[in-house]
Amino acid sequence: MSVNDSLLVIVLAQAVLYGTPLLYAALGELLAERSGVLNLGVEGMMLFGAVVGFWITQRVHGSAPEVLFLAVLAAAIAGAALAAIHAFLVITLRANQIVSGLALTIFAGGLGLSAYVGTELGFSPNTPIEQQFRDLDVLGLGDLPVLGPVVFHQSVLVYASWGFTFLVALYLGRTRWGLNVRAVGEAPASADAMGINVTLYRYVHVLVGGAFAGVAGACYSLSITAGWSSGDALVGGAGWIAIALVIFAFWRAELCLVGAYLFGGLSALPFALQGREVDVTPEFLYALPYVMTIVVLVLVSTGLSKRRIGAPAALGVPYVREER
Amino acid sequence: MGEQVPATAVTERGAGPLGASLPPAVRMTGITKRFPGVLANDGVSFEAASGEVHALLGENGAGKTTLSNILTGLYRQDEGEIELWGERVRFHSPRDALDAGICMVHQHFRLVEPFSVAENVVLGDHRGEGRRVLLRTAATEQRVDELSERYGLAVNPKAKIWQLSIGEQQRVEILKALYREARILIMDEPTAVLTPQEADTLFGTLRTMADEGKTVIFISHKLHEVKAVADRVTVLRGGRTVTTVDAAPATLQSLATLMVGREIEVAKPLEQARQLSDVRMLEVDGLTVPGDRGETAVDGVSFSIREGEIVGVAGVAGNGQRELAEAVSGMRDIRSGSIQVAGRRLRGGDPRAAILAGVAHVPEDRLGTGLAPSLSVTSNVVIKTYRTRSLSRGPLLALRRMRETAVGIIGRYDVKTPGPGTPVRNLSGGNLQKLVLGREFADDPLVLVVAQPTRGLDVGAIETVHSYLRDAAAKGVAILLMSEDLDEIRALADRILVIYEGSIVGELPAGSASVEEIGLLMAGGTRE
Amino acid sequence: MKLERRLSQPWWLSVAVPVGSLVVAFAVMGVILALTGHDPGETYRKIVEAGFTGNGALSATLISATPILFTGLAAAVAFRMQLFNIGAEGQLYLGAIGASWIALQFGDRDVTSTPLFVVAMCAAAAALGALWALIPGVLRAFARTNEIITSLMLNYVAGLLLTYLIFDSSSYWRDTSTLQARSFPQGKPMPDASNWPTFGSSVVVPLGFLIGLAAALVVWVLYSRMRFGFEVGVMADSPRAARYAGMRTRRKILAVMALSGAIAGIGGASQIGDFTYTLDGSPTGLQAAAFGYTGIVVAALARYNPFAVCLVAVLIGGLLNAGYTLQGPDFPSGLVGVMQGIILFCALGGELLLRYRLRIRRPRTVNPVAEAAS
Repeated sequence: MSVNDSLLVIVLAQAVLYGTPLLYAALGELLAERSGVLNLGVEGMMLFGAVVGFWITQRVHGSAPEVLFLAVLAAAIAGAALAAIHAFLVITLRANQIVSGLALTIFAGGLGLSAYVGTELGFSPNTPIEQQFRDLDVLGLGDLPVLGPVVFHQSVLVYASWGFTFLVALYLGRTRWGLNVRAVGEAPASADAMGINVTLYRYVHVLVGGAFAGVAGACYSLSITAGWSSGDALVGGAGWIAIALVIFAFWRAELCLVGAYLFGGLSALPFALQGREVDVTPEFLYALPYVMTIVVLVLVSTGLSKRRIGAPAALGVPYVREER
Repeated sequence: MGEQVPATAVTERGAGPLGASLPPAVRMTGITKRFPGVLANDGVSFEAASGEVHALLGENGAGKTTLSNILTGLYRQDEGEIELWGERVRFHSPRDALDAGICMVHQHFRLVEPFSVAENVVLGDHRGEGRRVLLRTAATEQRVDELSERYGLAVNPKAKIWQLSIGEQQRVEILKALYREARILIMDEPTAVLTPQEADTLFGTLRTMADEGKTVIFISHKLHEVKAVADRVTVLRGGRTVTTVDAAPATLQSLATLMVGREIEVAKPLEQARQLSDVRMLEVDGLTVPGDRGETAVDGVSFSIREGEIVGVAGVAGNGQRELAEAVSGMRDIRSGSIQVAGRRLRGGDPRAAILAGVAHVPEDRLGTGLAPSLSVTSNVVIKTYRTRSLSRGPLLALRRMRETAVGIIGRYDVKTPGPGTPVRNLSGGNLQKLVLGREFADDPLVLVVAQPTRGLDVGAIETVHSYLRDAAAKGVAILLMSEDLDEIRALADRILVIYEGSIVGELPAGSASVEEIGLLMAGGTRE
Repeated sequence: MKLERRLSQPWWLSVAVPVGSLVVAFAVMGVILALTGHDPGETYRKIVEAGFTGNGALSATLISATPILFTGLAAAVAFRMQLFNIGAEGQLYLGAIGASWIALQFGDRDVTSTPLFVVAMCAAAAALGALWALIPGVLRAFARTNEIITSLMLNYVAGLLLTYLIFDSSSYWRDTSTLQARSFPQGKPMPDASNWPTFGSSVVVPLGFLIGLAAALVVWVLYSRMRFGFEVGVMADSPRAARYAGMRTRRKILAVMALSGAIAGIGGASQIGDFTYTLDGSPTGLQAAAFGYTGIVVAALARYNPFAVCLVAVLIGGLLNAGYTLQGPDFPSGLVGVMQGIILFCALGGELLLRYRLRIRRPRTVNPVAEAAS
C-alpha cells in the first residue's frame, strides 16, 4: 500500500476538496465585512448558487469547459443578485443587518427559493448531472507521494480558489482601493470626509461577496456532490461555518485558506473513517466541525480583546452621514 | 477655479501684484441650513481672503461648525451660495470640496486608528500619484517626512494612529491637508487638546501657512486665542452673522459682548480661598489604574478632597484623567492602591458599590454613558435609583412615582423638554447636562466626579452648570473636576492638580497659579 | 426629497407599518406567482380557505402555530436585548428530549395524573432548553464570544444528538420492544396519561397553545412592568450606560438566554405532549420543520411584542398549514420560505419609516437680515 492510500493523505486531499467551498464563501464574506457589512445570508446564497449552476449544466449544451464556465458564472450572478437585496435593505434602508441576513437565508434557502427553483425545474436527487468538474492531473505530477493527490490532482475550482485568495490578499493589503475599503469598514466617517464613497464601496463589496458565495454553492452541485437535492443537506451548514471562518482568520484572506482546509478535513474525516471500517458513531464525527467552530471562536474571542487586530470597527453599523 | 496667484506675489492681504483687490478666497452668502427642530444657519454671510488667518468666533451652538461643514461638502445648504476666488461652486460631497482645495481639521479627528500615519495621509487621494493601483508606501512616507520638517509638525510616518498622542494626531490631520496642497484650511476648535505651549506652536504653523498665501479659517469660542492668532474675526450668534472686525483693535471684552449679545464678565479665577471644613471626603492613595491596552494609565496617584472642596485636574487629554475619573466612579478596575469615601474603603471596578457609597459621576460622554439615548427622560432619571424602595415594590416598578421624580427634577433644574416621556437624544447639550447633574444631585451624594462638564455648551448653559457645581460645593459635596478648559478650572477650583503621563506633577492653590505655570506642568516641565 | 430622523413615534405607526408591509409583501408575492404561471387571486383564496376558513382549517392552523408561538417568544425575549439567540431550534429539540424522558420515567412508575405529566414535562423541557441556551450565554457573557454563531452551531449538534438517540444507539428513548421497531428505528410511544388535553370541539385548541399564551402574558409583565425588563431596556440601548448605572450585565445576559431557551424548550414539550406522542429523531421529521427559524420570522414581524407574537404566530401558522395542505403542482415546496422571506424583507424596509420620515423640500424666501448686536 503506497503512502498515497494512507488515511492521512486521503484526508488531506479531501480537506482541500471540502475546504474549497468554505474558502470561496469565506473570501466573499471577508470582503463584505471589511466594508463594514455583515451578511448572514451566506447559506442561502450558496444554496441558490448551487441550484442555478446545476440548472445551466442540465439545460445548456456545449463542450464541458464552456458549460461549466457558464454555470459558475451564473452561480456567481445568482449569489450577487440575492446579496443585492440584503445590500439595499441594510445600506440604503439602514435595516438591522442580522435580521436581514437571516431573512435572506430563509428566503433563498432549502425551504425557499432554492427548493422552489429546483422543483419547478424538475430536479431531484436522482437527476444525473450532465457535466461536472473533474480532477485534473497537473503537470503529470498526480502520483507524487503526498503532494500528488493533495496538490496536483484537484479540479479547476480548487486552483482558481488559490488564485482568488492571492488576489483578495493583494487587493486588501497593497492596493489603493483595498486601503479605501478597509477605511470604510473601520471608520466610515473618516473615509467619507476623505472623499471616499462609502455607499458605493459597501454595495460593491457585498455584491462581490454574494458572487463568491454563489460560486461556493456551485462547488457542491458541480463537483463535490455532483447533483442536487432540495433542502439544506446539500450545503449542510457550510455557509455558517464560513462566517465563523472569517472571524478566526482575523479577517485576513491567507488565513481563510488555512482555516478552510482545517474544517474541510474535519468534514472529510467521517467518510474516510467509515471507509476504513473504524467503528465510531457517525453523529459524533458529523458534530465535530460544529463543535470545533465553537471552540476556535471562543479562543479567538478571548484573544481578540487583548489585541488591537480584529473586526472592522464599524462592522454591523449602518453609516449615516448627516443629511446632505 | 479662480486664477492661481503665486504666494510671493501677495503683498497685501487680498491684493494682487498690481494692488487691485482679488476676489476673496471664500465667499459664502445667505447660507441657511435647517435640521429637524433647529435652524442652525440663518442667512449667514462670510468672507475670507487669501493669505489671512480668519477667525469664526461664536459660542457653542452658534452655527460655526455647521457653516464649515457646508463649506467642506459634508452638508448641503438649504439656501445660499458659495464662491471660491470669484467663481460659484456647488459641492455634492466632501470629495468636491477636497478637489477644490478645501481641507478641514475637525474637532473629532477623521482618522483611521489602526492605519499608519502615511496611510491616513494618502487615504482617498486620487490626484496624480494617487491614481496608481498599488500603494507606494515608501514614497508616501518620504513625502510626509518632508512636509513634517518644513512646517514643524514632527511625527513618525510609520506609526499607527492609536499609538500617537492627541497632539501628534492633530499634526497628522494638518499633514493631510498639506499633502493635498490645500489652499483653504479650516481648523475647528484645535486647541482643546493642546497645552498652552503647543497651542502657540500651532499658531506659528498657521501663520507660516497664511504667509504662503493660504487661507486659514480658525473656528473657536475662546476669545484670547482668536485675538492671538487671527487677522480678522467674524462673529456668529444664534445662527446669524453679527459682524466682521479686525482682530488687532478689538478687546476681549468687546468680542465677548459681540459673541453673547449682552454684557458678560470674562471669567476670572477665584481670588480668595474659601473656608472649608477639615473632613476628608475622598482619599486616593497610591492609585494605579490600567488603561485600555493594559498599559499603566494612572501611576501611583495620591490626593484627597475635603467636604465642600472643588479640586480641578488639569491636563492634556490622554494623560490619565479619564482613567482616574473612571476608577474613582467604579467604572474601571484598580491595579493597586486604595480609594476611600468618607473613611470607608471603596471596592474597585464596581459601579454599584461606588453609587451606594455616595459617589456621583457626570461622565464626559453624556449621551452614550451617562444616559441611554433612546430611552425617555423618566427612565434616565431613575436609571440608578429604580431599585430603591420608593421607586419599586419588589420586582415591580412604580411607574407613576418614577414619572413624578422625573417631573420634579425637570422643574428644579430647568431642563427644557417636551415632557418626561421624550427620548433624551432629542434634548440639546445644555439640557442633557442639566438633566444628568439634576439626577446625580438628587441622591445627595458625598463625592461628585465630573468630567468635561461644559464641553459643547453655550455660554448660558455654561454659567448654569457652573452655578450648580458651586451650589453643590457650598452644600458640602466634594467635587473632583476634570476639564481640558483651563479657564473653567481656574474659575471653579479651590485647588488645581496637574496630571502628566499618569502622575500628579504639581499641586497649586487656584488663586496663585498662572496659566504659564500650569501649562508648563501640563507639558511635563517642572516648576522652579 | 430627503430622509430625516423622527423625533417621536406616533403609536399608530407601530401597527400600521407591519400591517402595511404584510400588504406589500402579498402584492409582491402575487406578482411572482403571476409571473410563474399561477393565478394569485386563486392562490390566495385557497390559502385563506386552507388556513383559516375551511372545515377544520383553524384547528390545523393552531397545530402549526403552537411551536412557532414558543420559538417566536423565545426569539423576542432575547432579540429585545440585542442577544441574537438563533438557537431556539436546538433548544426546542433539547426540550423535547427532556419532556419525553420524564414522561417515560413517570410511565415506568405508573403515574396516571395528566396534570402532573404536563407540569413535569414542561419543567424538564424548560430546564434542558435553558441549559442548552446557557452554553452560548456563558460564552457571550464571560468570553465575549458572538452568540449568533455559537447558538447556531449548537442547533446542528442538537439535531445530531436527536438522530443519535433514536437511530444509532439503544438509548432509553428508543423503542426496542418489537422486531419491527428494532429494524426501523423509532422512539418509544409515550404513556397515554401523558397526552396533553385539547379544548373545544369545532375549533380544537391544543393545551400547548394555551400555555404559550400564558407565557406571552408572563413575558409581557416581566418586560414592561418589572425591574427585569427595565434593565434589559437599558442594556439593549446602551451597554455602557447600563454599566455606568451599576447594572449587572453579565447576570442579565445569562438570565435572558436561560429564559429564551426555557421557552423554546417548552415548545419542545408541547410537540411531544400535544402532537407526536413520541420522540421524533428522524432528520426528515422534527429536524426538517424549522420551527426555530420560523420563530425568528414571527418575532421580527411582531417587533418583539409578546402579544403581537401570538397573533403573528397564528397568521404564519395559517400560511404554513395552507402550504402543507395545498402542496402539489400549484404549490411547489419552497413557496413557504419565499413568502416568509418576502414578508420579512418588507417588514425590514418598513422599519425605516418608523425611524425616519420623508421630507419634500419646499421653496422658501430668504430671511430678512439679522438684527445688529445691541
